This record gives sequence, C-alpha cells and structure tokens, in this order.
Amino acid sequence: MDKNKKILNEESQRLKEDLEDLEKYIREFSSFLPLAVCMINPPKIIIDINKAFENLTGYDLLGAIGQPIKTIVIPENELNTLLSSARKERQVKSEELTIISKKNKKIPVTVSVSAREDDKNNLIGYFLAITDITEIKKAREGLEKKVEKRTEELENSRKALMNILEDVEEARKTAEDEKDKASAVVANLSDGLIVLDKEKKVFLVNPRAEEFLSVTSKKMFGKKISELEENERMGPLSKLLKEGLENVFRKEINFGVTLTLEVTTERMKIREKELGEMIVLHDITREKTIERMKTEFVSLSAHQLRTPLAAIKWTIQMLLDGDIGEITPEQREIIEKTQKSNERMIGLINDLLDVTRIEEGRYLYKPILSDLGSVVRFVINSQEDELKRKGLKLEFSKPRDNLSRVMVDVEKMRVVVQNLLENAIKYTPSGGKIKVSLKDNKTEIEFKIEDSGVGIPEDQQGRVFAKFFRGANVIRMETEGSGLGIFISKNIVEAHGGKMWFESKEGKGATFYFTIPVKKEFEEFLKEF
Amino acid sequence: MKTMGKKILLIEDEEIMIDLLRKKLVAEGYKVLVARNGEEGLELMKESLPDLVLLDIIMPKKDGFEVMEEKKKDKNLKKIPLIIISNSGQAIELDRAKALGARDWLVKTEFDPKEVLEKVKKQIG
Repeated sequence: MDKNKKILNEESQRLKEDLEDLEKYIREFSSFLPLAVCMINPPKIIIDINKAFENLTGYDLLGAIGQPIKTIVIPENELNTLLSSARKERQVKSEELTIISKKNKKIPVTVSVSAREDDKNNLIGYFLAITDITEIKKAREGLEKKVEKRTEELENSRKALMNILEDVEEARKTAEDEKDKASAVVANLSDGLIVLDKEKKVFLVNPRAEEFLSVTSKKMFGKKISELEENERMGPLSKLLKEGLENVFRKEINFGVTLTLEVTTERMKIREKELGEMIVLHDITREKTIERMKTEFVSLSAHQLRTPLAAIKWTIQMLLDGDIGEITPEQREIIEKTQKSNERMIGLINDLLDVTRIEEGRYLYKPILSDLGSVVRFVINSQEDELKRKGLKLEFSKPRDNLSRVMVDVEKMRVVVQNLLENAIKYTPSGGKIKVSLKDNKTEIEFKIEDSGVGIPEDQQGRVFAKFFRGANVIRMETEGSGLGIFISKNIVEAHGGKMWFESKEGKGATFYFTIPVKKEFEEFLKEF
Repeated sequence: MKTMGKKILLIEDEEIMIDLLRKKLVAEGYKVLVARNGEEGLELMKESLPDLVLLDIIMPKKDGFEVMEEKKKDKNLKKIPLIIISNSGQAIELDRAKALGARDWLVKTEFDPKEVLEKVKKQIG
C-alpha cells in the first residue's frame, strides 16, 4: 500500500512538474507570440496578459491584472456587445475597437473574442486577442483619403464638365440667336440677295430677291445661274451674270419704269476661305424715276427757253440788218453786245439739251466711215478768227500717210474737237501756243491738244469730267463756260468706244487726249445712245 | 423782181416769229400767207397752192409731221417744196422729215431770218 502510495505520490509529483512545465511552456510560447492576448473573468476583470499585450498597452502584468477590461478597451458598449455575441454564438468574434494605453494613447485594434466555458457550459471567462491595426488603418485612411480625393476630383471634373456643357449649350443658344438674327437681317433686307456656294450653285435667296425676280427660292435652290428658268425678270439678270460673276459692280438692269435694279456681285471670303459668291440686287427705281423726272424737267425747260431765245436772236439780227429801220452806231454797239449774250444763252441751252439727251439715252449717233483729220481741220478753220483775235499760235500735226478711217458721227466728233479747242483758246492767255496732233496707233486714232494756258488745279482734277465743273482759277478769269462741254465730249467719245483723259499742271497748261478705235463695223462700237 | 408774186405759206404758231419772217419775206417781194396751226395750214395750202411752205413742227392741232404726211398723200400738194423751221433738230427728226419730203431743216436758234431767206431763195428763187 505504502509502496502504491509512494508510486502515487511520485506520479502526482511528476504530473505536477509536467503541468508546471506545460504552463511555463505556454507562458513562454505566449510571450513569444506577437499577438497581444489577455484573459478576463466573467465580471470582465483582467486575469492574465501576455508579453505582447504588455508591449501594446504599456501595462505590465501586475498593473494589468485586476483592471476592468473596459478601462483599456473602449468603447465599453461595443466591447460588451462583442463579448456577449461571442458567448451566445460560441464562436470567435472580431470587432474594431480602440485601446487606451497606459500613456493615454489611443490605438486602433481589432479585438477577437472567444468565450471560455467549463464542461457544464458555465462561463468562466474570455480570451481576447488584440491586433494593432494602426498601420492598416493608416493605410486604409490613406486609401480612403485618396478615394475621397479622387472622388472629389471626379466630382470637380463632373462639375467642370457640367459647366462646359452649360457653356456649350449657352454658346449654342447664342450662336442660334446670332444665326436667327442674321437670318432675320437677310430676310428683311431691303436689297435682294442671292448667295451661291463654291460650285456656283444657288443656296440662299432672300424674299426681296424672290420678289424682284418673280421666282421662288425653291425653284432656284441648287441650280447654277445658267440653269435658271428664264422668265422676263430672270432672263436679263442671268444674261448679265453669264458673262462672268466677277467685276459686276453697280450694273443696272431696267425692267421698264416699274423696276430698275442695280446688280453687284461680291466674293464671300472668311479668313481666306472661299465661301462662294453673293449677288446683291439693289432697287434704284425711285432714284431712276427722280433722275428721269429731273432730266425731263431740264429738257422741257431748255426747249421752252429756246423759243423766246430764237425770237430774240431773230429780232436782234433784223435790227442789226436794218430790216426794222436805221439804227445809230451807239444802238448798234449795244445790240451787238446783247446778241453775244443771247448766243451764249443759246449755247448753254443747247449744251443742257445735249446733256439731257445723253442722260435719257437719246443722243443719237449716225456713224459714217471718215477721216478724223478732216474733222479736226474743219474745226480749226472755224476757230481761226478767234485764234487771231487772241493772238494765239496753233500748230496742227498729223502723219504724212493717210490716217486709218474710223466710224464716227461727224457732227458729234466736231462737237468734241470744238469743245476741246474752244477750251484751249479760252484758257490760254494771249501770245500762248496750242498744239494739236493726230496719231495713228493702227487699232485706234489718238487726238491730242496741248495748251500753254492756266491749267487745272491739282485738287480739282478728279472732277474735270463731272457736269458743270469749272476750275476755280478759270471762274476768276470771267470767261464764259457752262461746265458742260467736257462732260458732253467725254460721253461722245465713249459712245464711240473711245477714251478721254488729260494731264495738267496749274499755271503751265493742260493736255487733253482722246482715242477713237479703228473699226470697220459700226455695230462694234455703237452703243444705244 | 423775179420773186414777185411768189406765194409762201408760213405755218407757225409763235406770233413774234411770224412778224419777223413775214417782214423779211415781204421786203423781198414775196407774198406771205400765214396759218397758226397745222390744220389751218393744210386748208390754206389746198386753197392757195403756194410756191413754198415754211413749216414749224411743234404746233397746236396737227403738228408739222402730220402736216407733211397729209401733204405727201395729196397729189396736188406733194410737189410743193417745204422747209422746216423748228426749235429742235434731232437727227431722228431730220431723217423723218426728209423721208416725208422736206427740202431743208432749219433750227431757229441756229439760223436767223436772213439765212432763212437765203434758203427760201435757193428753193424758189
């Protein structure tokens, strides 16, 4: 028995030692573990901790044991919930909680809880394994921040995009408004407008143009000018434009007294980019009517004035001829002066009538094939007395060979040469020189008349060919002149297909030129004058 | 005078022109008949068969052209020489007058009675 007792004692002694060894082993093992572990009893008082727990919380074993766990792990209600759910569900539960270290530092942790029961299922306490998640949390927070930042950026982008879209929408609206405005301007324009694209096809016709041309834009759209229906309005326009869209500037098309259009084409270019052509139809009917009325008025007045002027002319001549009785030398002198004034008046009225005929397009030409040399000679001969009276020397030179003959209205050409010669005589002081010459350039005859007279002031040279122009320097000379001669002459020359121009220096003289083309057929130059 | 007795019919509506021309022609020995419009002129022409007609263009009742047209149609009057004395002298008018048988055309502001007389003499001596 003793022997048994001894064996039993030895056995239990060994068991005890083994157990102590095991405890030590576990303690050493647990202290070696990097995971902070603590044990609490059912009233949630710490009964054991390991080394890692000491490191994490800063409490040593003696300081920690006996402390309520809630003083270290917070918040208390979440901890309680965690503990009870671990007990209830008999499994390990984890939750992110916070540890307050001895030094009052808050450490984010994950707490895993396992409830301990005896074999009769009575609660004997809990194991808490605590992991420091500071780094994870930091990383996570960083990530969150990043996500937040990214989200914010995205949000900003979205807002920016929305703003852009709003701006675009507004710009679109503005553009639309502008387009509407432009369309309204085009639609309500008092001028007719036809716009052609780059292929010279019609792509816009405003209502005025439709009205002017009695066509609908529908019928014109997509067609070339040459393909357009030739109604009585469209016909003359397409005829004008067929000759080329360029250089159409203020060309007049007359549709009787009811409508006169002034046509101008304009190339459309935006920043060097060709967009097409624009045809502008400007209504000048009113202006034409006024012009016609004015011309008619002048024409009528001039005709009316001619009757009494003729009566005066005849009376004066008969008085001077002694048909109405003898007159004294004194009376004769006065009557002769009156005759001169009357002749001047007749000349002026005739000039005015010529101008009105030119303006009315009634200045008829009867061209015949003639030698311009004889026309010039005739005029010079008619002015011989006047040249002598003023003491002027006249030189007339022309090529030895016969000049090419030209188709001219001889009467009208005489008027031209006479106007130019009269001017030269009038504005050249006594003792001066006038040089007249004709040159045969084969395709045209050039007439030149050079005087040593007063010339035309430079600042007035641009107006020389205008109606009623008289130089400021000649008005002071008290010479007569209507200011119509040059205007009439230029028109006559141009009606013959020629040109007229001049050179002048005030005080030195003036040189006038004109050319008449050498053509066999008068149709080639005869305008409907 | 060899002009003695020759009858000139002056168709003209302007009184002063009538006075002046009549004076000038009568002084030369012509017998001058005067009509103051185209209608009267034609009647007088038929009635008196003058040696020459001096005709104005713009006149009340029948104008100069109408007178010439009717004169041309009338075989009794057709041959009577006719000179136009008018206020204007456009080429187109001249051509028309020539076609209707006018011998000459004088523009009043460019000719005076003395020159008219010369033209008259040229036609009928």
